[in-house]
Amino acid sequence: MKKRHQQKLAVLALLLLVALNIPIVLLFDNSDNFLGLPVIYVYVFSVWLFSIIISFIIVQRYYE
Amino acid sequence: MNMKKILIVDDEPNIVMTLEYTFKKSNFEVFIARDGHEALEIIKNSVPDMIILDIMMPNVDGFATLEQIRKDKNLEHTKVMFLSAKNKASDIEKGLALGADAYMTKPFSIKKVVEQVHFLLQIS
Amino acid sequence: MNSFYLLLILLIYLGFLFLIAHWAEKKANSKWTNNAYIYSLSLAVYCTAWTYYGSIGVAANSGLGYLPIYIGPIIIIPAWIIILKKIIRISRANKISSIADFISLRYGNSRFLGAIVTVVCLTGILPYIALQLKAISETFHLVTKTTTSSLIFNDTTTYVAVALALFSSYYGTRYVDASEKRKGIVTAVAIESILKLVFFIIVGVYVTFFVFDGFDDIYKQASLLENFRKKNSIGGLEQGLNWFFLSMLSLFAIFLLPRQFQMAVVENNRERHIKTAIWLFPLYLLLFNIFVYPIAWGGNVLFKGFAANADTYSLLIPQHFGNTFLTILVFLGGFSAAISMIVVSSISLSIMLSNNLLIPYTFLGKLRSEEQFINNKKIVNIRKFGIFLLIISAYFIYRFFALDYSLVSIGLISFVIIAQLAPSFFGAIFWRRGSRLGAIYSILIGFFICIYTLVIPYTIGISNQESVFITDGLFQIKLLKPFQLFGLDYLQPVPHALFWSLLFNSLAYFSISVSFKGNYRERNYAEMYVDIDKYSNKHENAFVWKGTAYTTDIEKVLVRFLGIERTKRALNIFNVKYNVDKDQELADARLVKFAENLLTGHIGTASARILISSVVKEEKVTLPEVLKILEESKENIIINKKLIETSKELQVITAKLQKANEKLVLKDQQKDEFLDTVTHELRTPITAIRAASEILHDDSEIPEDLKKQFLQNIISESDRLNRLIDKILDLEKFETGKQTINPQKNNLINTIENAIEPLNQLLKNKNIKIVLESERTLFAFYEDDRIIQVITNLVSNAIKFCPEIEGIITIQVQQKDNFISTTIIDNGKGIHPNDFEIIFDKFYQASNQNFKKPVGSGLGLAICKQIIEHHKGKIWVNPSPKGASLTFTLPINNTI
Repeated sequence: MKKRHQQKLAVLALLLLVALNIPIVLLFDNSDNFLGLPVIYVYVFSVWLFSIIISFIIVQRYYE
Repeated sequence: MNMKKILIVDDEPNIVMTLEYTFKKSNFEVFIARDGHEALEIIKNSVPDMIILDIMMPNVDGFATLEQIRKDKNLEHTKVMFLSAKNKASDIEKGLALGADAYMTKPFSIKKVVEQVHFLLQIS
Repeated sequence: MNSFYLLLILLIYLGFLFLIAHWAEKKANSKWTNNAYIYSLSLAVYCTAWTYYGSIGVAANSGLGYLPIYIGPIIIIPAWIIILKKIIRISRANKISSIADFISLRYGNSRFLGAIVTVVCLTGILPYIALQLKAISETFHLVTKTTTSSLIFNDTTTYVAVALALFSSYYGTRYVDASEKRKGIVTAVAIESILKLVFFIIVGVYVTFFVFDGFDDIYKQASLLENFRKKNSIGGLEQGLNWFFLSMLSLFAIFLLPRQFQMAVVENNRERHIKTAIWLFPLYLLLFNIFVYPIAWGGNVLFKGFAANADTYSLLIPQHFGNTFLTILVFLGGFSAAISMIVVSSISLSIMLSNNLLIPYTFLGKLRSEEQFINNKKIVNIRKFGIFLLIISAYFIYRFFALDYSLVSIGLISFVIIAQLAPSFFGAIFWRRGSRLGAIYSILIGFFICIYTLVIPYTIGISNQESVFITDGLFQIKLLKPFQLFGLDYLQPVPHALFWSLLFNSLAYFSISVSFKGNYRERNYAEMYVDIDKYSNKHENAFVWKGTAYTTDIEKVLVRFLGIERTKRALNIFNVKYNVDKDQELADARLVKFAENLLTGHIGTASARILISSVVKEEKVTLPEVLKILEESKENIIINKKLIETSKELQVITAKLQKANEKLVLKDQQKDEFLDTVTHELRTPITAIRAASEILHDDSEIPEDLKKQFLQNIISESDRLNRLIDKILDLEKFETGKQTINPQKNNLINTIENAIEPLNQLLKNKNIKIVLESERTLFAFYEDDRIIQVITNLVSNAIKFCPEIEGIITIQVQQKDNFISTTIIDNGKGIHPNDFEIIFDKFYQASNQNFKKPVGSGLGLAICKQIIEHHKGKIWVNPSPKGASLTFTLPINNTI
């Protein structure tokens, strides 16, 4: 895989580091109901799912 | 008549004119041909003592003409001299190898040509 | 549920696993066992009984604290494409079979460092294994509704432990080369991963949609419970910090845990598989975690008021509703989670134990002198023994240490201990200056702090308020309170320990590494690790070693472990790869490294090095020398690549050059011929001038009319000479592009008529008729004089070639698209088709170039072509049955 595509994944890791930690994660830190789950869960799981999808796309497209 | 016969073969009329004038003054009977073909025709009728042969001529050139001449037994005693602007060593070698008795280059000195002809015919 | 039946089910299940392992071993290379999905799923050994039970306990009792264990991996897994790939490459190149090998090799193949790492891993993992056994035992008793027996022989866990030991030692140590892939184990673990996930999801769905009416229902009911809000949010900044440290902890764990290293690195078959793992493994973790919240709070709602162990909600709920089948499924899921952890961990720990502790420090002497067969048997036995020893030790820890702690807390302590390897590990692959001393001190210091802040307090008893040590610190120094070291009091014990241990750990690592230079051996490996991508295939080239070694000596050592056949084969491969003569007596650095590699799988890197060094004589190499050699070899590799590229380019250029050269030679020849002809042409008029001048000079009696004739000759020949020189210069100007033309709109018919006029006399003399055919007055864009030149030339040629009688020259002018075309036709002897192109060459004369006097100077057509082409027109010969036909075109409008 070319270096620049690898770096896309590295950037994703950095984004996750920021999105899933203080202070950002605290912005979503409450237990109100959202689709039956506390908001904080919805946020974390959404970011989680998002990273899976992005990783999948990048790896499918650029891995020779 | 003791006049020697000389055949001048060259297609440049201005050059031929100078040679013709010179040899007529030297008491030669002068024949003129513009190319090898004409030359051989003239030779059939009368055998010259001397032939001055240019090389670059239309139709049959000088080298081919000499080859024909040297095949002819009648011309055993005829002297042939090349007179040509082709002055490379290879041309001179070829000319002499084909049987020429002399090879002079153009531009030529009239005096020298006359000298050479007299020498070849052993006229003083 | 009767114990006996449950035991039977367990045995059948274990039998099923044995079968899978057996089948997978047979089909070692088929697409069923050697694929990216099996690899990615085997990584799920990360999820143990902790995940299965412990997470629910945490979610139910204290909140989101179970999530950070997965956040760390989620964050770093995308970067695996860079980091894990590098680790795998390094490990493959050096036949590394454990994390202890990985670290110890990097820092100069240090036996001591390998031993320390092994001890750290043992300390961290054995309690963890014990916990899995505890989980099995407790859940077993829960399902069968029996109590834990105090007798060993009545305790099913005993038998389970024994069975696992047998399974692991059989399938885990099949090959004496520890870097061989254990397809059986990997496949079994992957299958278990699928099963445990599926069962968990089933119970999750059951609780959410059958016991309750969906997520909303659970939320409504759960939110009525006390502390619901508090438990379902992170809290404030302090909690946020804890969250952060815990995620960093799990981030390290996913690399450093022996079972993870084993599955992700040692058992990796293809680098390509990483591509799938990057998305599949996080997806697995996500699916696993979705139902933790509903089960936890569903349980809280259902068992409100009862003192139910939240860890076991997943079993309690189906059991509460009498759903035995589901209960057993959950149990089997938890069981799978536990045993895959036990099996993989015990295998990886036993490899470390044998290769980094036992063999290097005790058995090496014996192995050195024995035969291959005996040696291999011994090594395998050591490993098998190791596995048994480990599992039994874990069993005893479980049995005799009153483990009051939840799965989670012991698990976290285990993580923190393992995390002490982090600075040395990551420094190994990214920092060249990381040194052995730095690594050793860093691990020891970190380990010590762990013990102080976690192990000791927990052993004493966290709830033991009477412990002076905990409340007041060592020697009653407040700053040395184990849970509030140096006054840091807003972190929970685990993040707190992690912070301090890693802080001092890293400080030690960095400061010692930059203060003391490592030896050349360390530096050599440092280069090999950090720059692994540059060395790829021929990594033996990166090994710097100076000394005397004999191939036969090395061979002897190899034979002791590989046997004669394999040794011969391996040496053959080496000779072919590096183009070495097989009769070469002296071994070079590459062979030494190659031989060490071969032995590494069997006895570990440290022992391999010790053995090989014992038969070779090494000379000291200074550090600068090593660096220089490595720089050179790196440069060489880069230069090599450039050379190959350049040589390809060179080949292309050379071919082009050759063509150009051939053209030049031809041009040269043509130039020579041209010069020859030109000089000949020029000499002819000069000859006439000279001869006539000589006569006029020497002969004073020459008649007047002859005198005039000769003078006229001189004049006309001078003119002729001049014209010739002009033409040659003209042509030269055209060809070198110095000629300019000034075209304008002109009447072509007029131009043609103007050109023909001076020739009229000549036409009359030769009896040639000339006809001009054109539609009408036609205009074109050209320079008048030049086109007159062209037409004059073409018509002159036509005149020369026309027959003596009835010569006709036809000039046809027509308009064709944007051009006017003019064709000049004569009825002479024509042009041979072969010569259509070449008549436009300079001094062209028909086929027999040297033997016919050219009619004309031979330059005319060449000049015509230049002129026409400069007008953006074309000139060519038309095929015609009789006579010659030439056409030229001129543009109507300005196209220049």
